[in-house]
Amino acid sequence: MKHTELAIDDLRSAARSLPDNGLAGAREAAVTHLAEHGLPTRRNEDWKYTDLSAAIDISNRWLRSRTVTPSAGLLDERAVALVGNIDANWLVIVNGVVADRFMQQLTGSGLDVSRLSTETSSLALQRPLADLNVALLQDGLRVRITGDGDKPLGVLFVDQADGDAGVAQSYVELEFAAGSTAEVIEYHVSDGDADHYANSVLTMNIGANCDIKHVRLQNRRIGHVHTSRTSIALGRDSTLTMTGFDLGGGLIRNDVDIDLSETGASVVFDGLYLAGDGQHIDNHTRVDHRVGPATSSQEYRGILNGNCRCVWNGKAVVHEGADGTDASQANHNLLLTEKAEVDAKPELEIYAEDVKCSHGTTIGQLDESSLFYLRTRGLSEQHAKQVLTFAFAADIVTRAPVDAFRDTVSASVESRLAEIVAADITLEIAG
Amino acid sequence: MLEINNLECRIDDSDILRGLSLAVSAGEVHAIMGPNGSGKSTLAQVVAGHDDYEVTGGSVEYNGQDLLELLPEERAREGIFLGFQYPVEIPGVNNAYLLKAAVNAKRKHQGLGEVDAFEFLKIAREKMAMLGMDPKFLNRGVNEGFSGGEKKRNEVLQMAMLEPQLAILDETDSGLDIDALKAVADGVNALRSPDRAIILVTHYQRLLDYVQPDFVHVLSEGRIVRSGDKSLALELEDRGYDWLREAAGA
Repeated sequence: MKHTELAIDDLRSAARSLPDNGLAGAREAAVTHLAEHGLPTRRNEDWKYTDLSAAIDISNRWLRSRTVTPSAGLLDERAVALVGNIDANWLVIVNGVVADRFMQQLTGSGLDVSRLSTETSSLALQRPLADLNVALLQDGLRVRITGDGDKPLGVLFVDQADGDAGVAQSYVELEFAAGSTAEVIEYHVSDGDADHYANSVLTMNIGANCDIKHVRLQNRRIGHVHTSRTSIALGRDSTLTMTGFDLGGGLIRNDVDIDLSETGASVVFDGLYLAGDGQHIDNHTRVDHRVGPATSSQEYRGILNGNCRCVWNGKAVVHEGADGTDASQANHNLLLTEKAEVDAKPELEIYAEDVKCSHGTTIGQLDESSLFYLRTRGLSEQHAKQVLTFAFAADIVTRAPVDAFRDTVSASVESRLAEIVAADITLEIAG
Repeated sequence: MLEINNLECRIDDSDILRGLSLAVSAGEVHAIMGPNGSGKSTLAQVVAGHDDYEVTGGSVEYNGQDLLELLPEERAREGIFLGFQYPVEIPGVNNAYLLKAAVNAKRKHQGLGEVDAFEFLKIAREKMAMLGMDPKFLNRGVNEGFSGGEKKRNEVLQMAMLEPQLAILDETDSGLDIDALKAVADGVNALRSPDRAIILVTHYQRLLDYVQPDFVHVLSEGRIVRSGDKSLALELEDRGYDWLREAAGA
């Protein structure tokens, strides 16, 4: 398959036309990095199941047309409609631009928010797609969580795709001061009939003795492209509980990197992906256990119906000397049709002595004996299938850690599942 | 109510039932006993509609209709209940949801509206009290992490809520301590009525001390080899199954 190349000259001129702020130098460096290294192709082992051609094609079209960003005010209204009723301190990034109105409204305690552009920033470019992100980054957010806030911090990414094609780059840095307890909501939404590509970078630098909860909901328009990079470092004796949901989009690729370089750190991260016709959802996770004791545990679940493909690749690297590591990974997939395809790949690399590692993956259909049991209670075969499918998802939904966002997650999962399995029941089956 | 004639069935190319006949009328309690592998559970599963079993001969009529033509859910809505020997654990589906969905599926079939949520909870709690079940079980996953005894009580709870016309309890007594056995027996006895029939599939006669059957049948190698009243159960308790097997083989 011929790989689409990014139009690097168009990219350079687009980068140079962006507002001359503190990011100008970083952009220039990113363009140079990108020109030298290019974007990952399927020849790269980490990208063998996911072809970025769609993202590159949209980027090239956007670079040629540079569709004017729709009125920010209009999208502000959309943002209010989406999250106005969710009790959190919201920051909003609209088509890759930080929305002023929400910056000004921020009233929460324990937050110190600034724009990346206000000082000269040099941003990490090594990870694939981070260079593309920085090259076209208008602005980004740096949030320091200084203590125990009274509300969760929410970051809403809302994009509108009009014209020929839309592209949005977003970059958010979260820094958690030692000893803080915090909840973070990450919410991605997109609208519009045009093709769209969003590329997001999120870093979470967690200090010592923190207790952090993070929930991510990706509910983009079906067909839109999204790549995300989440880089997390945990401090000594810190705990992170994180759950992610991928419901929408066309081509979705999430990379999560977790660095455990301090003892006593513990991370539990789970995910749910729902894929229908035409969707491709790829979750790549990597945990680096550099010291022990520390624990990491992940469980991703997927429900696939129709002509779609999902990928889960969970890598844990236990470095030399990281004794006392406890790492577990699980990936379970429910395939409701034969057309659906899953590539599930756990990867363990262990260079330490005293470690506990486990992994398990399953790919299957609904359990026949459970189906029969429900049918003997009078439920139709269709109803019984729906109930079991919802139950499979509900297990992850109930783990979503931020209470203020729980209803949004449940309602979004319910409505997407209802589309996928043609059902009209709710997650109340899980009580 | 139930008329089984010369029923033959197989699973994975092995014949299990080989010409079984049984007639059950409203108001009766039948016990079906027999050694392991005699086909007791198969009979229960076939009547409930499990499609792993291939019926190769004979007929089953239920209230005058051909039962074998009906889907498992249609049989349930028509009033047949199977209490499983090994109830399935279904994590993520809460017990109250299943009970309500089951009751409503049946009510819909009968042309009735959905059950009132308040009324439903009240009745469920009453039945649970009778069975010695903690109301908390309503909000747990179906049979998830239940002990053997809790699972069996849960089967009887479902039966009590669904008020079947024909209840088949497959080894509901196995693995129960004496308290659980009595609770299960109370649940079954509470259901006895002139317009219902109950079939108890059991290996031992222990349950029959608490639920007095009108008829006892002995199943061996896929057919009923002896029928009698409850004294037959006691005789089996004394003499085991071997003498019957020999008698049948002769």
